[in-house]
Amino acid sequence: MSNIYAALEIGTTRTVLAVGEAETGGRLKVTSHASIPSSGIRKSQILNITQAATSIKSVLKEIEKHEADGGHSLTIGNAFLVVSGQHVKIDSYQGSTPVAGAKVRDDDLVEAMRSSRGWTLPKDRELLDIVDQTYTLDSLGGIASPKGMSGRILKLDTLHIHADLNRINDAKTAASEAHLEIREPLFAATCAADAVLTDHERRNGALVLDIGGGSTGYAAYADGYLMHAGVLGVGGDHVTNDIAHAFQTTQAQAEEMKIKDASALIRLQSEGDARVKVPGASALMESRSISRHALDTVVNARLREQFSIIRERLEELDLMHRLHTGIVITGGGAAMRGIDTLIQRELGMPVHVGIPIHVDGLAEERHPESFAAVAGALMYAHRNYEQKSLFQTIFGGLLK
Amino acid sequence: MSEQSTMLLLGVGGAGSAVARRIATSFPGSVPYRTIDTDANAGADDSNFILIGGERLSGRGTGGNIGNARLAAEESVEQLDGALANVRLAIIVTALGGGTGGGATLEIARHLKKNGISSVVFATEPFSFEGPERTKNAQTVASIIEEEASASFFMPLDMLVDGEDNMVAALDGAVNSLAAAVTLFWRLTETPGYIRLDAERLRLLFSQAGRGRFATFTASGNGRVDDIISAIGSSPLLSKGGAHPSVRSILCGILAGEDLRLSEIGAIAGAIRSTFGEQATFELATVNDESTFAGKISVVTMLLEGDGKSGADEVPGSAISSIKRKSRPGGVLAHGPQGRGRFNNSEPTVHNGEDLDIPTFIRRNINLDF
Repeated sequence: MSNIYAALEIGTTRTVLAVGEAETGGRLKVTSHASIPSSGIRKSQILNITQAATSIKSVLKEIEKHEADGGHSLTIGNAFLVVSGQHVKIDSYQGSTPVAGAKVRDDDLVEAMRSSRGWTLPKDRELLDIVDQTYTLDSLGGIASPKGMSGRILKLDTLHIHADLNRINDAKTAASEAHLEIREPLFAATCAADAVLTDHERRNGALVLDIGGGSTGYAAYADGYLMHAGVLGVGGDHVTNDIAHAFQTTQAQAEEMKIKDASALIRLQSEGDARVKVPGASALMESRSISRHALDTVVNARLREQFSIIRERLEELDLMHRLHTGIVITGGGAAMRGIDTLIQRELGMPVHVGIPIHVDGLAEERHPESFAAVAGALMYAHRNYEQKSLFQTIFGGLLK
Repeated sequence: MSEQSTMLLLGVGGAGSAVARRIATSFPGSVPYRTIDTDANAGADDSNFILIGGERLSGRGTGGNIGNARLAAEESVEQLDGALANVRLAIIVTALGGGTGGGATLEIARHLKKNGISSVVFATEPFSFEGPERTKNAQTVASIIEEEASASFFMPLDMLVDGEDNMVAALDGAVNSLAAAVTLFWRLTETPGYIRLDAERLRLLFSQAGRGRFATFTASGNGRVDDIISAIGSSPLLSKGGAHPSVRSILCGILAGEDLRLSEIGAIAGAIRSTFGEQATFELATVNDESTFAGKISVVTMLLEGDGKSGADEVPGSAISSIKRKSRPGGVLAHGPQGRGRFNNSEPTVHNGEDLDIPTFIRRNINLDF
């Protein structure tokens, strides 16, 4: 029986679920994916468990319907959880061990790794991942594989990615109400990076920006490993809120204006229609028009600030000059009109939209970048749980 | 001031404890303090010493392991509770880059916050020659401490000492510099001069201050005020890359003998305000102590960049809160909750003291052509 996995992202704007299956040859295929509007979520955090559970139930139902349409039937019992939000934090930690013999052996590597896991999180945090970076042997740093090298003290740099335990528990509770068990929480930005980055980009330096509704995750790679990651608690919802406040609209109207009419770049007045129609908030209210230039100005100001803060954070760590291949954008916010050019100008390097290239099955999807994080979570499951079945099967060809 | 003081000095780790003891020695019996370490030998002669992680580490220190220090502090932090009765503001001094200083400080700051006690952390960062790993570790820990403490000052040791000094003199200079800033808190309340600043006002000033910068300057003779003003303008400790961006709040302490003139106070205060922002909240206090500062003027300048906190500590209607409303054009108070819209009840996203949930065009004062 082949292994099948599921990954869930309870996003601020949308709840996303994807199902993947290992193909012959070791690649992973996304067999089903669905995305429905979220409710009860604000800034990537659940505010209403019941509403969040309803969203999860809806997306489960849609997946199961899709499978049924294909002649298969399955009940999804558990899923990996993709996590973002400003409660996610990243700490550097260095493990060290004396080299037992004259040269570094496997035992020393194991001991350095054990030592690097010595950072004990506070009780209110949950570990999402520990990412190994490079080794340092005495004063010689940046070593990828120190085995066989001579030295006295071996150190291993790691990044510990952790999240607020209560926020994770809220997601587990909402999933549980939808009869879905959460297997492991995973960090959205690194999951997205796993799905979209090539080895060339990882080696030569790239930044992944996972632009969500409530927050923007980022993960910077160079020399083949994760150099730094983080989350800024600003996302597409902030753009919507700014529009609503500027033009006194409802949030729903503002969201529609953002998608249909706004641009990240301020367009010239002569380009097309200079006015944007805003429907009345109710049947009793008349529609009106606003300046498209003003709309673009509001959006542009927010997005420039959002990405300049991320640039500042990377500059503080002296990482910008190491990102030689540029920036890859993923998440629902990547679809914003003109956002690639704005980021290119703000961060001063080429930008492209990230397609989950390491999985199959998303080629027909209009916005595959929206599924990058769940695709990366499926890849993680495939790598780490290859021999384990994650689903309760009822019957059907897919699982036979 | 006695053990009934609302302020408590905490020295964490070897270097922090040394600073705390030096300050306590300057004010015999007046500064309530505790020293905290994982190394039992470090506190052998100190009745105010608290050993943390005794069971886990057997009093042998952390071996430079921050994780061990965090565990030790987490397990033992309640030993501190006996010293916290009536305490409203804790001043923590420590050194980052090693084990105990960084790891224990953040747990202690977190414990204080849980108990409703404001904390101000003064921490040194390693010398650059100690290597990028120690610097990186220190900066990582600093970012966590910054979240837990009410206010925090992180000073690279490179900037606190004269590069031409020998090692002993350099470290002594660093300890003195740190001690001078921390001592200000007690001098302001022990030996106030023309302009007083009480402990509660200090606590309010620091209750939501975020990260800050500080420097001390001393001069004597006829041109002492000009010398100090010149030093303030050129101090790398107070600038950012050579520039002087505006700050949210300024605390200026002027310590002098009985010959301190009002015109001198005015000149120093005016120069600081014009350099770091006329709109900033400005708190000034003086100390007249002829026995220590005869013929001299010492100025301690603390620049507070922003409010990284919710403002829960703030007293509605107090002088400080009303001044901050004026001085924070992009902050929560300036625009009120309505500007946050759908984020009204959410934990704010704060960057450099600005609430990013408030629309950018409002905070940037961008005019819209409707």
